[in-house]
This record gives sequence, structure tokens and C-alpha cells, in this order.
Amino acid sequence: MNFDLTDEQRLLSDSAERYVRERYSFEERRHLFKDAQGFSRHHWRAFAEMGWLALDIPEALGGLGGTGHDLVLLMEQLGAGLVAEPVVDTAVLCARLLLPWGEPALREQLLEQVIMGEVVLALAHQEQQMRHEYEFEVSTKARAVANGWTLSGVKHRIFHGAGADHWVVSAEIEGTGDFALFLVARQTAGAALEDYELIDGTRAADISFDHVLLPQSALIARGDVAQQTLETALDYAVLATSAACLGSMEQVMALTADYLKTRVQYGKPLAQFQALQHRMAEMFVETDQARSMLFSAVRAFETGDPVQRGLAVSGAKVIVARAQYFVSGQGIQLHGAIGTTDEYAVGHHYKAAVVYDKRFGDSEFHLDRANADLRLADDRRLRGALYA
Amino acid sequence: MQLQLTAEDECFRDEVRAFLKANLPADVIRRTRTGMHPPNEDDRRWWNRVLHDKGWAAAHWPVEYGGTGWSHLHTHIFEYESWLAGAPELRWQGLRLLGPVLYTFGSAEQKARYLPAILKGEEMWAQGFSEPGAGSDLASLKTHAVLDGDHYIINGQKLWTTEGQYCEQGFFLVRTENADRPQKGISMIIIDMRTPGVTVRQIPMINGEGSTCEVFLDNVRVPCANLLGEPGSAWSQAKFLLSNERTSSADLYKARGDLERIRIIASNEHKGGQPLLLDPTFARRFGALRLEVEALEWSVLRVMHEAPSRHPIAACASVLKVRGSSLQQKLTELMVDALGQRSLRQYRRDEAYAEPAGDPLWPAYTPGVTTDLMYLRACTIYGGAMEVQKNIIAKLAFGF
Repeated sequence: MNFDLTDEQRLLSDSAERYVRERYSFEERRHLFKDAQGFSRHHWRAFAEMGWLALDIPEALGGLGGTGHDLVLLMEQLGAGLVAEPVVDTAVLCARLLLPWGEPALREQLLEQVIMGEVVLALAHQEQQMRHEYEFEVSTKARAVANGWTLSGVKHRIFHGAGADHWVVSAEIEGTGDFALFLVARQTAGAALEDYELIDGTRAADISFDHVLLPQSALIARGDVAQQTLETALDYAVLATSAACLGSMEQVMALTADYLKTRVQYGKPLAQFQALQHRMAEMFVETDQARSMLFSAVRAFETGDPVQRGLAVSGAKVIVARAQYFVSGQGIQLHGAIGTTDEYAVGHHYKAAVVYDKRFGDSEFHLDRANADLRLADDRRLRGALYA
Repeated sequence: MQLQLTAEDECFRDEVRAFLKANLPADVIRRTRTGMHPPNEDDRRWWNRVLHDKGWAAAHWPVEYGGTGWSHLHTHIFEYESWLAGAPELRWQGLRLLGPVLYTFGSAEQKARYLPAILKGEEMWAQGFSEPGAGSDLASLKTHAVLDGDHYIINGQKLWTTEGQYCEQGFFLVRTENADRPQKGISMIIIDMRTPGVTVRQIPMINGEGSTCEVFLDNVRVPCANLLGEPGSAWSQAKFLLSNERTSSADLYKARGDLERIRIIASNEHKGGQPLLLDPTFARRFGALRLEVEALEWSVLRVMHEAPSRHPIAACASVLKVRGSSLQQKLTELMVDALGQRSLRQYRRDEAYAEPAGDPLWPAYTPGVTTDLMYLRACTIYGGAMEVQKNIIAKLAFGF
């Protein structure tokens, strides 16, 4: 067993760290929310030039075919800067949803555009009654017609929905009960969109599809394949956002430690007060344990076994969410009132914690999912790092 | 990065499992799993001999001193399997604490005299560090050694000497000179516990047993040859001793064992007509702790393999102690909760070790659970109190 990085991995991590430090400062980030889309196409193209949007796309399809570990290394650095661009939504989640598409030419063309930073993709899956993305009962209907499909239904909370060039829309195929995924272009007639701001400055949308006509080729996948593809892609999205949280927590600790060293009260720096030192130590413990859970998840992803993958990534999400709430919340507390202001970064990390917890399944859902293999005592041990 | 066990690792694990299966009788397993503190002394010495005969008594020592020479990972696998198989845990003080100090700092005579008996489990070792006035602040210790020809005359009192009642030998921190820095004048010296003037008194503890002792040293004459290394060098030896225990302070194997034990209890206890383990509230509490153990395990593996980190590895090692010890307490609390009101019965040692009578009112898994809860209130205190560990993390990780 070893945890060493390859030279390529070190390069990936270092270049992302440098980008965030030099080009994605907190001030720069505040500025980009003035853009109507809630993110910057300028950064987006730069990410493409860095190769980051190709990382999670298979080599055979023009991507870099990176590992789960590579993805974690990149996302940790982007998380430190609270990068708002839809890297995960487009280049991990939706790019993965395209993989089973039976239209190789269209698929490669679109993935090429993703890699080049020319398009943004968004998942339009959730509906009014759904609490999160891991639910697969949808009421949006797709009906087979002469030259393709018509799509009807209301999709809710589509992250980056207005900024996207294409949506991957889930629907039930009428008459079959099949769960299916369709690719729908932003400009398609009959799609009415209402767009709104989220607490972290990014945007989401609700979209109504009223007998929207789609070509035959719009169907990406249906049945078990569609659902498994979505579940796999969601697991990768959770892995990626969890890594981003880790970067956020490290950033909060660094900010807070600096602050405690310089802020003087009662005649000495706050860093000399033991109560505050201990709080920082507790933040360090939580962050360290969260980091460990990412290795647990990466190991499970490596096995290629979807059951192990699901159990481990859900476990990671529970621990990471708890850790990030604690670390960013205490980051605010240790800063005092300044931490609660919009002009200061630490409060934005707390908002990121809330968004992380609520996206892609909340902690309660993931705790149950991580515990799904619990069974009454028998001769077999519960799984662990040394046992699948 | 390589996070899976290799075929060779799995082969090693199979070998360890087969050995444990073939060599551990049911009654030893039962007594060990009961989890009394202190554990059964006869079982422990017997198992030390069995492992010595196999060449496995000192998993983490170098081969030249009788160790196995295993990698950290194989040592980890061995200890993990041993715990889950119900093997008695060998006493730490000789094998884990003093042994490495002896073969690193000891004289040729000291190594020849003491190492073989540690390996065979023939001599057990008492640790004489803490004192009534020197707990976390060890450097303030007062026990002193005065030179008298080729002997030291030692006077003082030691406290919290784990299982001192069983020990033939002891390693003690004593003040050999009054130096400018309190750390500087401290030496480590070996004292035969049967020397006149050594008195060991067992301290009754809240778990109903006596797993720790006070040791009175009253004009104890000890040969100068028993001093380890140079006089006044004990502080660095003690630091070395503790740094060898980087990952074991996580108590990971016990945490894994506790999860299994809770699972057994909660599978057999009932609530609302179904096994407690299937109750959603209990299952979630169990699930949350299970995830904490999983995180701890990967933290152990990271420290063990010195995974790249932006923070000093010693800070990550202190995390193991902070999280591992608080997790020990949470696990035993959940275990007591699983047992419910039956957990209130106080078991004496002979009752706890008795062959289970098959009494449905008092299932075999009952004894030992609450004893463990009580004992483990100490685990956030011993080996560097929780608060001291947090001081260390704040200093190492943030430069406070």
C-alpha cells in the first residue's frame, strides 16, 4: 500500500493550486457573480486550456481518462477557491451521462465541446416531489412520436440550468415505465425557463417542457442502463464535490490560523488563547478524518464494483458534510463578527457547506445508503479498509 | 498510489488467520473477548510464549533482535486479525514501549539480559513515569536517584503504573541531577520489582478492578549498570518511545472489535418485537460510528505509510489519539445502550470469566461491557491527555 503521487498528479494538483491562488482570489470570485450566468466563461475556457474539463472523460473519447484520485486532487484545489464554474455538473456528471449514448458521432462532438470549454451541460432531473438527485421516480413523460419524442413535465432545481447549452433531462417513457435520459438543447422550442439565484451566488432554474419535440437521436439511454449511468455519475459527482469540500476546509483553517495570529485582544494575539487553539485542533481532526474518507471512497471506486462504490462514497459524504459544517462554522466563530460579513471569505465557505450537504443527497440519505449492508450478526465481518 | 491489498498481502493474511484458528482455544477467546481490565494474566503469558515459538511475538521489532521484520502493513494485518480472532493482547510495556528503547539505546549487556525475556513473555514490565505531582507535566517529576558507589539509591513514588502487580521488572524515570531545564536531569533506569524497598499497591478503579498501581520506592538500591544510555538523556528516550506508538494509539483494532460486539448484542436484544439492530434510530447511531471507525482506519493507514500531507505527520498522529480515544468511549457507550438495563450489573472477575450458564436472563455477551465503559473513561487521559494532544496539534499544524 502506498499513498504517493505520481509526477503527473503532483503537476495537476500544483497547477490547480497556483491557478486559484493567482487568478481566482476571493475578490475575483465576488466579481464574477456579476455575470448573469453566475459563473465566468472566461475562467471556463481557461479550465479547458488547463485540461481540467477533459480529466474525467475516457481517453477513447478524447479525454484524459483520469482516475478517481486524479479527480480528487484537482477538485480539492478548486474547492479551496470555491470555484463556481460548473466543472462537476458539466465535465463529470453530465459528461458521464453521455457515455452510453448510441449516437457515437453526436456524443464525441459534444464531449469535444465540453473538453474545449465551448459548452456547459446541466442535469434536469429533479421534480417537485423529489428531495434530491438520487431519487429515480420521475413524472416527466416522453412519448414516442413519428420522428422522435415529445417531452412534457416540470423539472425543478436545475443547477446552472439557465447558463447551460444543453440539458440532460430524465423522463419516463410512456407505455413502458422505462426511466430514460434525453439530451435537450437550450434553444429548443417549448421549454419555459425560470432562473434564480442560489445562496452561494450560482444560479439554478425550473424548466417546464410542454410537448417539446425532440429528434430520435435525443435519447441517450433508457431502462436499467439509464438509471445505472445516472447513479454512477452521481457517485462521481459526490466524490468530486467531497474533494472540493476538503480544499474548502483547508482554506478555512489557513485563513483562521492567520487571523488568530494577527488579531490582538486582551493584549495578546488570539492564537495564544488555549480555548481557541483547541477549537482549531478540533477543526484539524475533522478535516483529517474527512480526508481519510476520500481515500476510502477512492479505493472503492478503483474496484469497479458499484455496490462498494456506493457504500463508500455515501460514507464519505456523511463524514465530509459534518466536518465541513463544523470547520466552516467554527471558522466564522473564531473570526468573530467579521466572519459573518459578505466581504469576508469564511462565511462563503459555510455557504458552500450548506450547498454541499443538500446537493446529490443529504446526510440522512447517505447515512442510510452507507449503512445498507448492515445485517444481523453472522460469521462475516463488516467491511473495512482491508475487507471488501 | 496503491490502496488495495496485493495478492502477497492477502496470502499473508490467510497465513495469519490459519495460525490463529489453529492455536486459539475457545476458552481463551471467550475470556479475552469479555474484555476485563486487566486481562487474564495467564492467558496473556501463555499466548506470548505461543507467539514466541512461532517467531511472531515482536511483530514490529527488527529481525536481528528477534522481531519479525514485517512491513508496517503486515504488522497492521497481524494485529487486526489477532484482535478480531480473540487473541489475548500482549502487554505493551515490554514489547512495544521499552523493547525499542532497549535495542536502540541499551548497552550490549542490557540487550542480552532483557530482550529475550521480553520476547518470551517471561518478564513483564512496569512503566514508572507518572507521579502524584507529575501527570501531563511529566518533567516536574520528583523521584530521585543519588549515586552511592556503583549503585543509585532511589526514593520517590510513582503512580498509574499499569498492571504493576504482575511485573517482574520496571523502567522508571528518575531525576539524577538538578539541571537548569527540568527535562535535562531525568534518566531512565531499570528496577527489578523484587528489590527491597519497592512496594506495589493496586488502586481500586471505578470499573470494579485494579488495573493500575502506585509504586513506592524507599531507598531502593539499583546498580548503575541499569541506567539506559547516558545520565540525563531520558527525555529524548521517552520521546522516542512515544513516537514508536504513532498509530497504535488509535486503538483501531479494538474499535473494529467493538463494532462487531455491538452488532452481536444488538442482533440479540429486541425492541418493539424486532432486533435492536434493525431499529432505524439505533441503526443510524451504529452507522455513524462505523463511518468514524472507517475514517480512523484510513487515517492510521495514512500515518503508517507517511502519506504526502501539507501538515506535519506528527500532527496527524496526534489526531489518531484524539479521535481514537473519543471513539473508544462512544463505542462503549453505544454498547452499553444496546445492552440496556442489564448493563447495570456489576460483574466480578470470576463471574465474568465463568463458563456461560445459558441463562436467558443474562446472555453470555453481558459481562465485561460496562466494565469496559468505566475503564475507558481513562483512555482520553492516559498516553497524553486529550487536551495535551490538542495543544500538540495546534502547535504543529498551525504554529501557535
